[in-house]
Amino acid sequence: MKKLASPLSYVLLVIISFISLFPFYMMITMSTYKTEQIFQTLPFLPSDYFGQNISTVFQSNFLQSYGNSLFISVVSMAVCVLVSSMVGYAMLVYDFKFKKALMNFIMLTMMVPTQIGIIGYMIEMRSLHLTGTLWPMILLWFANGFGAFWMIQFINGSMPMEIVESARIDGAGELKIFFGMVFPCIRPGVLTLCLLIFLWSWNSYLVPLVFVNNESLNTIPIFIKSLANAYRTDYGAQLSGLLLATIPLLIMFICGSKSFIKGLTAGAVKG
Amino acid sequence: MNRKGNKKYTILWPLFFVAPFIIFFLAFNLFPILYSVFLSFHDWSGIGDKVFIGLDNYVRIFTQDKTVWKSLGNTLYIMVLGFPLSIFLGLVLAAFLSNLKKFRNVFQTINFLPYITTPVAIGLIFTFLFDWNTGIINKIITFFGGEGVNWLGNAKFAPLVIGFMIIWKTTGYYMALYLAGITSISEDIYEAAKVDGAGPVKTFFKITLPLLKPITIFIVITSLIYALQLFDEPNLMFNVSTTSVIGGPDRSCLTMVWNFYDVAFGSTARLGYGSAVATTLFIIIVITSLVGMKLMNKKEGK
Repeated sequence: MKKLASPLSYVLLVIISFISLFPFYMMITMSTYKTEQIFQTLPFLPSDYFGQNISTVFQSNFLQSYGNSLFISVVSMAVCVLVSSMVGYAMLVYDFKFKKALMNFIMLTMMVPTQIGIIGYMIEMRSLHLTGTLWPMILLWFANGFGAFWMIQFINGSMPMEIVESARIDGAGELKIFFGMVFPCIRPGVLTLCLLIFLWSWNSYLVPLVFVNNESLNTIPIFIKSLANAYRTDYGAQLSGLLLATIPLLIMFICGSKSFIKGLTAGAVKG
Repeated sequence: MNRKGNKKYTILWPLFFVAPFIIFFLAFNLFPILYSVFLSFHDWSGIGDKVFIGLDNYVRIFTQDKTVWKSLGNTLYIMVLGFPLSIFLGLVLAAFLSNLKKFRNVFQTINFLPYITTPVAIGLIFTFLFDWNTGIINKIITFFGGEGVNWLGNAKFAPLVIGFMIIWKTTGYYMALYLAGITSISEDIYEAAKVDGAGPVKTFFKITLPLLKPITIFIVITSLIYALQLFDEPNLMFNVSTTSVIGGPDRSCLTMVWNFYDVAFGSTARLGYGSAVATTLFIIIVITSLVGMKLMNKKEGK
């Protein structure tokens, strides 16, 4: 394989990376232009209108949308990762009836396209009096088939059973073993799943589209869409809004990318 | 192991650790789908009484509603345009990247960025880039003396743009997955291949590719499910509130889920009929993934 690492592969990778980055770059430069000017030139170099555009964005309910999205993603992520890790732990540590059936069940849940059930979900939320709150956008993340599958694979590969056995002999309770000993061992897997669930719930579009019925419930994707309607002609403002909405995910990913890729490697080996 | 026979470890604790997942799944994921199936046998606008009409909704889907099948065709077409190429590119790039000593993480991070970007943002950015009059792409084309293309207004080109968007978005993700797989293959195997005199291309096809099979299966199945549920990107690009026609030029980008969304929550709420469309979609997705899994496993057996 070593011979493949020719200058050619560098050239190809640079071209592909350029294509990956180009829309981001255009988004950044275009957000620094006054709308009329975007169309007069090829806006490849930054201009000086960024401050104005940003202040236009902040006049809308940007901060609230941000807060909503943050709340949704953090709660979804925390519960989903905990619930998934618990399943993964049970699959490694205990022998119980229906263990095999449960594994098959979880494989099947991965294939269930959840958004297809959205009509039933909407009626359910309505009868639970949860419409008009953020909870409909959170609850459906609690049991995620992929998350459970991921943690089962990960815990199976990185947690020696002996640790649990010897902790029991020392008299540690099950909860203490789970939170105190297992959790630290599976950190890369947990972090990777955290990042993915945060990402997916943050970017989720169809579900909020159904449940956001007034501005105070806006999530970031819905907010951006409403920007496109509210500032139909103000492309500069739209693009700066986009930029602000994209940045936190970018930073989060770049910071966590090392452990993310490590977790991905460990999970994919068995995946 | 002295745990056998001890009820604490065979019933109570397992139940405690497994119950949250099962309960949440039944309550918020499975129940809504079952309830949708129940609704699909009714005529209901969301308010007032549900009227039981048996299989009428399904009869209509299979005999009258051409839009459902057109949207299925559109979805499959966009899927074929986008995913095979992005999976292939992901594999090739991962193979190249695995040989790099320097910049490996930089390349990986850069190419992963499109995957984490909000689809809404991608939709808007691509609208700007591909706009007929003001888009950068056409400006570049005319700059070099070519003629601008009406990318988003022509039924021939619009699905291509969506396909390109999928390739742009997912290639880096597939690359990361394949790279993870390649790095986990032991160096010894490659050394042995070298001793046997196998060239790099042969090594790739005879050793790397077969060992990556589990990852390929995972990628193909998940991208099938993702593709059949495609909604965000086309909706964001072509959902212009000034026109009443949905789905882009000649409805060429109306995907199945978009059509379902429009039936259920569009101008007139038809929750009963929408549920029937959803159930049909659900069955198509489950059958496709099961068949896909079977086929992939069969090939592995050979």
